[in-house]
Amino acid sequence: MNAEEPKPDTLALSLGAMLARFWLAARAIQTGIEKYAGSTLSETAVSINGQPNTYGLTDGAATKGYALANYHGVPAALYDKFAGEPFMAGWALKLFDKTLGPALILLGVTILLGVASRISLFALGLLYIGLTWGLILIREDSGVAWLAAHMILIIAALALVRYDRLRILKKW
Amino acid sequence: MNAPLNRRNFLTRTAGAGLVLGAPAILRAAEGGSQKINVALVGFGKQGKVLFEAMSNIPGLHFQAVCDIWDYNLKAAMAKVRARQGSVPKGYSDIDEMLATEKGLDAAVVATPDFWHSPHTVKCLEAGLNVYCEKMMSNTIDGARDMVRAMERTGKLCQIGHQRRSNPRYLYTLHELIQGKKICGQIVNINGQWNRAVTASQDIGYNPKLSIAPEVLEKYGFANMHQFMNWRTYRDLSGGPISDLGAHQIDIFNWFLGVAPKSVFATGGHSFFKEREHFDNVMALFDYDTPQGQVRAFYQVLTTTSAGGGYFESFMGTEATIDISERSAYTNIFRESSAPSWDELVSRGYLKKGTAPAAKADSGDAIKSYESAAPEVYQLPGDLNKPPHQPHLENFFASVRGEATLNCDARHAFESEAPIYWVNPSAIQKQRIELTEEHLTV
Repeated sequence: MNAEEPKPDTLALSLGAMLARFWLAARAIQTGIEKYAGSTLSETAVSINGQPNTYGLTDGAATKGYALANYHGVPAALYDKFAGEPFMAGWALKLFDKTLGPALILLGVTILLGVASRISLFALGLLYIGLTWGLILIREDSGVAWLAAHMILIIAALALVRYDRLRILKKW
Repeated sequence: MNAPLNRRNFLTRTAGAGLVLGAPAILRAAEGGSQKINVALVGFGKQGKVLFEAMSNIPGLHFQAVCDIWDYNLKAAMAKVRARQGSVPKGYSDIDEMLATEKGLDAAVVATPDFWHSPHTVKCLEAGLNVYCEKMMSNTIDGARDMVRAMERTGKLCQIGHQRRSNPRYLYTLHELIQGKKICGQIVNINGQWNRAVTASQDIGYNPKLSIAPEVLEKYGFANMHQFMNWRTYRDLSGGPISDLGAHQIDIFNWFLGVAPKSVFATGGHSFFKEREHFDNVMALFDYDTPQGQVRAFYQVLTTTSAGGGYFESFMGTEATIDISERSAYTNIFRESSAPSWDELVSRGYLKKGTAPAAKADSGDAIKSYESAAPEVYQLPGDLNKPPHQPHLENFFASVRGEATLNCDARHAFESEAPIYWVNPSAIQKQRIELTEEHLTV
């Protein structure tokens, strides 16, 4: 290194690495948790002229909740589109559907805690590549671009990982 | 069962059924469920899944058997039923085998391609089942006639899937606002549309590994797998966009007006999907003579653009216009500035005051004497907080239990659908068709 070049600001790089890591972790964990989300609808009959109406018109309020029974890996609307694609193997779709939520949560947690950050980030990148491939098949171009932004962040996090001081299993 | 059609009054029977029995029946069905109903699912494609999801919320149903010629759909149906009720239904690829084997079935829900609606419904009725069949009744008017005759011959129930007929928002709008409070004044025009973008109208793809054997496809009337997946675009298998999408809404024109049109003039063409048999864009004009006066209705179904804001029916009156849609977001009511005040209706809960669009600034291109004052915007006081097909299915199963009367039995559905069968012929012949008893009766 040229003696006149400024030294890298390792504190800033370390903070940047952690921010990238935390963002990706938050994104993965909450997306995984949302796979278990469902809503419960409570309804009250609308009163007309002082009486509950007899037509069935209601004021509804949806209450969001989480349960294992609500799990949906690939949204139903997309699942049928994927299933109709010649390149999509049925077993792979089923496997992805069953594992997507748990995989996002697991990788999100390891990235958050800094456990084997390189491997965790790489695995998350592979997962996003899988999602990207599916969206290319069904021509969801905006989703592909959205995932590309995630990939840029993963690459940035990988590039900065050596500056990240809060890690476990640093070799990986 | 019913008297022959009279253009001026035929649909009033339907309106009466909905007013007197429909809404309370829906409420009762939602509460009920003590009497178990054994159901067969016939056809488990896209629409079959929609109906199953809506039925999943209805108590007292036992899905005993499912039938679909595509193994992929059949397995999906069996898995979904198992997930819902804990037991695996019996699966069949052939409806004749299912009807011959299964004992104790009470009802069938038919969601097969349009050209199979009539044969499947007639078979089920003759086997002693009550039938809920998706609209359009058939791809031909004679097929629809067969369904009415079979329903009346067997004495079984046959509900046609014009689900808006059981939608509380539609029932309330017709009976309370249009007929009761007469907020539209005289209805003078109707406009309806279902426009969707090219991207939403593409052919449906399939995985060749999951293809149905050619001999099976041929047995069930399909030339190949593409035709099986995209039967809606073929003239021998369906009525095309005007029946696929338009039938729901033209049904509302006829139901709300209480009469059938006296003529139809349509035009259509292949604007974008040039290889398809059916027109991709169709526009139709209907003329009505109602007790209040003449009404003209315009309907367009465009599968090449989403312009104009999706799908809705607009009833234009001298005092108000009601834009109503199965989607609550597209529903608005506009009071003409010259109409009597609706403040009392709002205070008593019949309507909600909406948010008026922002007024446009005065500019040099506006000639004030040519423009009407902007109408005030109102909304319905409540909503349907269920899947849109659920109330209609609830009405059907409540009727099977003897607790209600069908909101859209096959005869009433036929009377409303009959004019729709003449839209494509008018567009193909480029001629106005005067609708006579021969065109409109069973």
